[in-house]
Amino acid sequence: MSDEPLPDEHAPRRAGAPLRAESVTAGYGGDPVIRDITVAADPGQVVALVGANGSGKSTLLKSLTGIVRVTGGTVTVGDTDITRWAPEAVARAGVGYVPQVDDVFAPLTVRENLEMGGYLLRPARVAERVDHVVTVFPRLGQMLTRPAGKLSGGERKMLAMGRVLMLEPGVFLLDEPTANLAPAIARTLLAEHVRRLADSGAAVLIVEQRARAVLAIADFAYVLAGGEVRMSGTPARLAADPAFTESFLGGAAPRA
Amino acid sequence: MTAFLSSLGFGLVTASVLAIAATGFTLQFGVTDVLNLAYGAVMTAGAFVAYVLNAAGVSVWIGLVVAMIVCGAGSVLLNACVYAPFQRRGVSPITMVIVSLGMTLIIEFGVQAAAGGTSVSYSMSDGPSLRAGGLDLSVVQLVVIGLSLLVMAGTHVLLRYTRLGKAMRATAANKTLARNCGIRTGRVIAVTWAVTGALCGLAGVVFAMDAGSFGATSTDLFLVLILAAVFLGGPGQAYGAMLGAVIIGVATEVSAAYITPDYKYVIGFVILLVMLGVRPSGLLGARA
Repeated sequence: MSDEPLPDEHAPRRAGAPLRAESVTAGYGGDPVIRDITVAADPGQVVALVGANGSGKSTLLKSLTGIVRVTGGTVTVGDTDITRWAPEAVARAGVGYVPQVDDVFAPLTVRENLEMGGYLLRPARVAERVDHVVTVFPRLGQMLTRPAGKLSGGERKMLAMGRVLMLEPGVFLLDEPTANLAPAIARTLLAEHVRRLADSGAAVLIVEQRARAVLAIADFAYVLAGGEVRMSGTPARLAADPAFTESFLGGAAPRA
Repeated sequence: MTAFLSSLGFGLVTASVLAIAATGFTLQFGVTDVLNLAYGAVMTAGAFVAYVLNAAGVSVWIGLVVAMIVCGAGSVLLNACVYAPFQRRGVSPITMVIVSLGMTLIIEFGVQAAAGGTSVSYSMSDGPSLRAGGLDLSVVQLVVIGLSLLVMAGTHVLLRYTRLGKAMRATAANKTLARNCGIRTGRVIAVTWAVTGALCGLAGVVFAMDAGSFGATSTDLFLVLILAAVFLGGPGQAYGAMLGAVIIGVATEVSAAYITPDYKYVIGFVILLVMLGVRPSGLLGARA
């Protein structure tokens, strides 16, 4: 009837799962929104996707998670081809996705949200993981019985990240986690939490409007425009490219 | 006072039948996103399944269990064969309502073709009457009230404490995010059709017991009360539907005693309209 929990040996593990998108073309049924995009993120790396509104960053993440239909190209996690897999299958393959909006179950309590994040785990393991997530985000521990819809913007984003942490995915896809957050909270989220995900062995692909802030923690970055990759490189190389700094960093000299 | 208490007794029984029906309806709507107006027709089909068995000499209580199974399975099929294919084509919610109206007619005429156009009733004993505090209820009426309390308590336990129930709430709240968590929402939705279909069958049989005699279209007006209870409580809200059922059930029967029984369905809908004017999201619905 209902889904059985994953046997432990099949549970997604943090350890090394490189994400590769090769020549991905995708859209909502009409003209493709993104064309021929190739990006990659290795374990231990934070890879940033930057670009203007409408450049296709969010659509790329949605196509990697199976929400938007991929019409060309391939998506792989490790040796597994997950192209056109349903979202629930992509989650089972060890890919955790935090959408930009609608990122929590608003009527469910904080604890229930985390339990849904750990839906694929054994019940005893769920409790262990909730304890772990609460040590990563102590604030959530003080509000486990509160409905997610009543959280502040920052708390809500912590819950969305915590929900994904439940499964210890090998790949994290984060869609503008700092949107609508105060600058100080945004910097903390990126520097502490997002960077730490990669440092503990996961591959992180992150979409960000705050180009300067995300480049400070990224190992590599792709610049999207018009649904295509326009530039790519390490943050240092991009920062040295006037075409990039004028468009995305307001022409100012980048701070390290 | 006697008139009030006896109407309150009727009201409690009506509220109990309504609570079973409305809990199933609101759960079905909340999780599956289908406003299934054929719910009343499925109730009728359940009532007739129990009748056919009862007429063949089987206890109506066994008929009740069979009706729950048939309506649970039938609702899964109704979704798989009719609603889900339309949803996959991305038709608008209003189109789905029209489809469900069509299914109402198909099911009701199907029942009529099979069972004939006349009203029927179960052969069962109402049991002795019990009086307590001025209320006068038969054993069967008490059993109906008891079943209703059981359904409400069971729904509470399901939604709050079980993995399936939480997955149902997660699916209702945000289906895409539920899938991102690895939840196979297609299965959760199928199980929801089975559970709510069984509740619908249960509601149909106790409705028929309460009504005394019933025909193929007997639940048409009752569907109005179900909708009133569901939207009074806030669509998709299980506790809201229970609360709405008690308010609508008691109010309609008490008003029937004091004004005239002809207006009881009108009273139910007036309560709903006033509510929608004051608080459109319903008593327990989320504020917009």
